[in-house]
Amino acid sequence: MIRGLAGALAGYAVGAALVAAIRALTGVDPLAAEPLVVAGFPFALIGWLLGVGVWQAWAREWVGLDARPAAPPGWRRYFAYSTDHKVIGVQYLVTFTVIFLLAGLSALLLRVELAAPGQAILPPATYNQVMSLHGILMIAVAVSVIIAGFGNYLVPLLIGAEDMAFPRLNALSYWLIPPVALLLLTSTVLGGWDSGWTGYAPLSERNRVGQIFFNLSFILVGLSSIIGGLNFLVTIIRLRAPGMTWGRLPIFVWGIFLTSLMSAVFTQSVAVAMLLTLLDRVFGTGFFAAARGGSPLLYENLFWFYSHPAVYVMIIPGWVLALEVLPHFARRALFAYRWAVGGLAGVVALSGVVWIHHMFTSGVPFVFLPVFLATTELISIPTGVIFLSALGTLWLGRLWLRTPMLFAIAVFFNFLIGGITGIFLADVPTDVQLQDTYFVVAHFHYTIVGGEIFGLFAGIYYWFPKITGRMYDERLGQLHFWWMFIAFNLTFFPMFGLGLAGMNRRIADYDAALANTNLFVSIASFALGASFLVFLWNVIVSWTRGPMAQANPWRARTLEWQTSSPPPLENFPVPPTVVAGPYEYGTGRAHAVLGGAAGGDD
Amino acid sequence: MRTNEGAARGPATSVRRHTLAFVVAWLAATALAFWIVSGTEFNPPGGSAEAAIIDEAFRFLALLAVPVFTFVLVGLAYSVVVFRRSGPPGDDPRPLPEPRGVALGWIVVTSALAIFVIVNPGLTGMAALGWFEDRRPDLVVRVEGQQWSWNITYDGYGVTVPKATELVLPRDRRVRFIVTSKDVIHSLWIPAFRVKIDAVPGIETTADATPNRLGSFDADPLYRLQCAELCGTGHARMTARVRVVEQAEFERQMASLRAEAGR
Repeated sequence: MIRGLAGALAGYAVGAALVAAIRALTGVDPLAAEPLVVAGFPFALIGWLLGVGVWQAWAREWVGLDARPAAPPGWRRYFAYSTDHKVIGVQYLVTFTVIFLLAGLSALLLRVELAAPGQAILPPATYNQVMSLHGILMIAVAVSVIIAGFGNYLVPLLIGAEDMAFPRLNALSYWLIPPVALLLLTSTVLGGWDSGWTGYAPLSERNRVGQIFFNLSFILVGLSSIIGGLNFLVTIIRLRAPGMTWGRLPIFVWGIFLTSLMSAVFTQSVAVAMLLTLLDRVFGTGFFAAARGGSPLLYENLFWFYSHPAVYVMIIPGWVLALEVLPHFARRALFAYRWAVGGLAGVVALSGVVWIHHMFTSGVPFVFLPVFLATTELISIPTGVIFLSALGTLWLGRLWLRTPMLFAIAVFFNFLIGGITGIFLADVPTDVQLQDTYFVVAHFHYTIVGGEIFGLFAGIYYWFPKITGRMYDERLGQLHFWWMFIAFNLTFFPMFGLGLAGMNRRIADYDAALANTNLFVSIASFALGASFLVFLWNVIVSWTRGPMAQANPWRARTLEWQTSSPPPLENFPVPPTVVAGPYEYGTGRAHAVLGGAAGGDD
Repeated sequence: MRTNEGAARGPATSVRRHTLAFVVAWLAATALAFWIVSGTEFNPPGGSAEAAIIDEAFRFLALLAVPVFTFVLVGLAYSVVVFRRSGPPGDDPRPLPEPRGVALGWIVVTSALAIFVIVNPGLTGMAALGWFEDRRPDLVVRVEGQQWSWNITYDGYGVTVPKATELVLPRDRRVRFIVTSKDVIHSLWIPAFRVKIDAVPGIETTADATPNRLGSFDADPLYRLQCAELCGTGHARMTARVRVVEQAEFERQMASLRAEAGR
């Protein structure tokens, strides 16, 4: 990592010097900050990647030398460049869990400020910066944590493969993430940016220099997401074990497959929006500047064309993680498996034609309103199928309510509230009033935190013994669940009321009539924050000193549990052959056998 | 197929028993929730003809959501309470066959609900708001946003108030706001009227509201013109007071504003 930083600095110096030289030759101020940063950035990025391990483990081949992949032993491998999907999965999970907690702390700062009307600790400009930072950090976590963390660790295991299709690309997509943290940190030091995670132009073209770090880091997260998406698509299409037909794929793998499709198709659009904003700022182009013939609404269209599918990039992994957990703890097959896959596909298909529901009050031509009202409401149909699958699996099951199961069930309670309130936001007449209020804040926290992040914790507890080889403390796990579940609902449910009472979002101050509810929400948010101390304690103690886990403590059928905990390099002692569906409890048939004894049917 | 008649009948009766118990619990929860929802005032008192339509749409959706919400909630709760097992799983029971037609029936019902809310209160609400026809306004007010204040022009009165602290409107007149921005995107929002439209540099956007209740910011903080789109440091405080008066008083206000501007 030290070498990576050195590489980044060297790269930056090259890029910045190049631009300064060109600008000096053409007679403009050679030391203007923004052009230097923007032009130095790609060079710094290349320097970082080469320094951090790409050169040693990969790029040496380009000049005819032997690649020398480093493989430090033990825990040190998690801090080094590695192409092992399990190491990369853990790197993603730990990185994003840390970012999640930091972004949560920034939310607590906001809640301190909002605990009472008037100004407490954050002046309005600082409030907007902290709010923007909270937003983008959480978005980065939500877009990546399950798909990149658990996706990387588990997809090869679940389909019976040795690794991802493109291990080097996989490492590359991870090592694009630390520069994002570095960029946003630099931005904060320079005074941050105040245009939220949406970065609407032209505000983002007129504010301080911190904005460009936001745009650059958004492009990087997007790049990482596209690369990761392509890698999953190829892996799942090409590397399934013999007998692992599409109809036998665990639902989690289906979810990652469909999510990757969205990442690969839609992300370009937001990267373009970010890039054009930078061009407007640095080179004076006028894509989004009305005075120069540009269109601010163009930015919103490009932005939401990705960012609405992006919410499904966040939530589908949460749903399928919960759906993956349910059958193993209900001891029966996933209900309506094929319909659930169809439901996921339906959501993906509709996700590309609903983005204008973010813009009902933006001044888009009227004709779009009824059309996007209709497409948006239609999404509730495939979403409903996911609920059918969950309810049907629980119904008449034998529920073993361990921590992962509790989190998985809570996903459907929370998302029920998030989904139903979404109907109010999709119906144009009600949205006119609710748009940009705390009703929206409550709605998306219910869907993304209540849906995806609860799913994330279901996954963390479910696969903890597999990943670490040790068992977590069940009592602390259940304490964490109930504490987080109750505090989460106490924090976010009253926000629906705040929105209805006329509190708009992204404001540093509000009307005194709303003081009591806001104080309540602030107190509850601290209780929510404190619940993660239980989680951290449990994880740290269990990972270092917990009892050793068995290979299959849940008596689950899927492939990751048919190998040791943690699995060896390249996962299985002998390649598995899949002979039945993943959830056929009580039939006496195995899902897979190690080795080709039973013969594949492909 | 089954070898033992009794074993086959056993699970079937218990399925019927659970189903019946679930339906009873669902109906009870639905009745209770209907009672709560119909007694809840979700929105604060409105101040325009549009507010009545929008609040009615909200109330209708809330009532429609009740049986859906309770179905899933009772389904989850019933399963957790009734089907939980204390210890780790023993031998897994033989899987029950998936009942035919459940998924299809579910999709038919949810599709009907989704299409229903698209039409009502979606399209019908937009029609009631007069958005599908070309209604003529009684008064045109031009509003220009800038960081961080509003410039208000009353069309036909020759009155422009830069950095306005107050917006005065006559009662029972259909007001058309023609909105734009000088710098970044803002959004015109008057919570009491349930009207919201973005102020976008370079284009004009429009929204109509018909105030039907006398009121002022001092009596009701929802009578305010507030920026609803993040626009920089002063966003939270980018507000102006709104006052709704009778037509005669409105004419007097315009005259005095004109006189002030002339001085």
